[in-house]
Amino acid sequence: MDRSKRFWNPYVAGVALGLVLLSTFLIMGNGLGASGAANRIGIKALAAVAPLHVAGNAHMKGYLQGNPLDNWFVFELLGVLLGGAVAAYTAGRLKRQVIRGAGVRVVTRLSFAVGGGVVMGMAARMARGCTSGQALTGGAMLSVGSWVFMLAVFAGGYGLAYFVRRQWS
Amino acid sequence: MSAALPFSALIAEHREFGLVIAVVLGFCFGFVLERAGFGRADKLAAQFFLRDMTVFKVMFSAIITAMLGTLIAAGVGLVDLAALAQSVVSATYIWPMLVGGLLLGMGFILSGYCPGTSLVAAASGNIDGMVTFGGVIVGSLIYGEVFPLLADFHVAGSKGTFLLYDWLGMPPIVLGAIVTFIALAMFIGAERVEQIFAREGAAPAESAQRVRRSRRFVFVGLSGVALVSLVTLALPNRPEAAAPPADLPTISAEQLARRVVDRPWTVRVFDLRSRDACGKQRVPQSRCVPLTELARLGVPYLAPEPDLVVVDAGDLKSAPAELLRYRGRVLRLAGGFAAWQAYALAKPPALGATASADQREAYRFRAALHAALTGAPPAPPPPAAAGFAPKPKKKKGGGCS
Repeated sequence: MDRSKRFWNPYVAGVALGLVLLSTFLIMGNGLGASGAANRIGIKALAAVAPLHVAGNAHMKGYLQGNPLDNWFVFELLGVLLGGAVAAYTAGRLKRQVIRGAGVRVVTRLSFAVGGGVVMGMAARMARGCTSGQALTGGAMLSVGSWVFMLAVFAGGYGLAYFVRRQWS
Repeated sequence: MSAALPFSALIAEHREFGLVIAVVLGFCFGFVLERAGFGRADKLAAQFFLRDMTVFKVMFSAIITAMLGTLIAAGVGLVDLAALAQSVVSATYIWPMLVGGLLLGMGFILSGYCPGTSLVAAASGNIDGMVTFGGVIVGSLIYGEVFPLLADFHVAGSKGTFLLYDWLGMPPIVLGAIVTFIALAMFIGAERVEQIFAREGAAPAESAQRVRRSRRFVFVGLSGVALVSLVTLALPNRPEAAAPPADLPTISAEQLARRVVDRPWTVRVFDLRSRDACGKQRVPQSRCVPLTELARLGVPYLAPEPDLVVVDAGDLKSAPAELLRYRGRVLRLAGGFAAWQAYALAKPPALGATASADQREAYRFRAALHAALTGAPPAPPPPAAAGFAPKPKKKKGGGCS
């Protein structure tokens, strides 16, 4: 197999990821994140359709002071999309497909994906961040809440894994 | 703040440039995630079936790399660790973070992604990744909709910025070294687990040697960095070492009153007494900040222009370390709140006929302050002296006039 098409050694990839995170801390005084930007995109879209509804919601109205998309995390997300696409393309992995376990129907796989996404969207707002913003960023800064979150993610994942094993076998 | 990093100019003044940096750093983030294999749901989900521990290995090597880097940067004085933690880390809310974590883990195994990796998957063309990210957007909106029902739970177990080393009461770098060695031990455990649970033929035999070599390189590297970083404990310029518990310079009750009334923008007054005492009576314009809540305030972030004056019950032994991290001048009201009471809340003693102009002026100020604060009828004016026209006096403390 061509060298560039293999996945990186996990430890080497981890150290590289850690250096990106460290640069983000030191240069910008910020962490990396993903779900925050998703929330902002959602609110922007909802505000375009139902502005009064958003303005009346205690959780969302704060984001409407100024453009919700004018934010570090949204621009960072743009970069993630670009970086992911370039990395996939240069490794010959840029391909339209549905990744699923053998014998799992496409419809089933996509329903699970949407459902899991919805659950994660809610969970990330509840926890003030997801695996990137809490576990990675807060984990590296040794925040108590982030470590609680991180251990809970693994607990939740392992707890449910047995029941959905058919999806991935 | 003496620390050179992060570049606050990049955040505040050169905002556009800062957003370009955001795209660049995001690019690196996405690129590394993809190359680690995190754009593929099957590889991520395998973590939860113990077949492939890549998620664990990547995540924890990233965490200890960034952690050690940050701690070393703080140790050599490049960055103020407490200030950085304030700006980077979200406050801790134990219960919603615990439940949110459990739910997110469940969503992870259902969808095969976490929010960040679903984006990388979407970028590499995986439709399951695209719909997952769509689900994340919808989910966060749903949370906003049901938020009124969860408002209390949303802030349950609030601890402010709460860091493990503060909780455990040990120097950050020592905890950093401990975390590093625990992680390395767990990596070795993860390798064993993979060997046990891996399916036949899954391990690419051709590159086994190379994998082992880079693994050993990273392990030795990280433990070396962790050990060497302990040296920073001995460096003199750590922020903690730079803040000796010293006595604060004082300001008299009269000087404080003058500034609060005449130039309120030059002082920032914190009342360090209990909330009850402060709630009953306090210096006008002062803010109730019980000592225990001082750490939550982000003192190093307050604008340093006004002098910070603290009012205590007269029992403050030495300056709390948190106060010394204020970037401006910190003063203590001499005599504590009792001195304020004696000066401003008691009727000023009457002046004799021989009082000088300065004394008259001081008396007038004090009488007006007393009247304004207590609602008592104004004290009788001082005996008039020839050639002195009384000026109208501002009565109330407060407001930029």
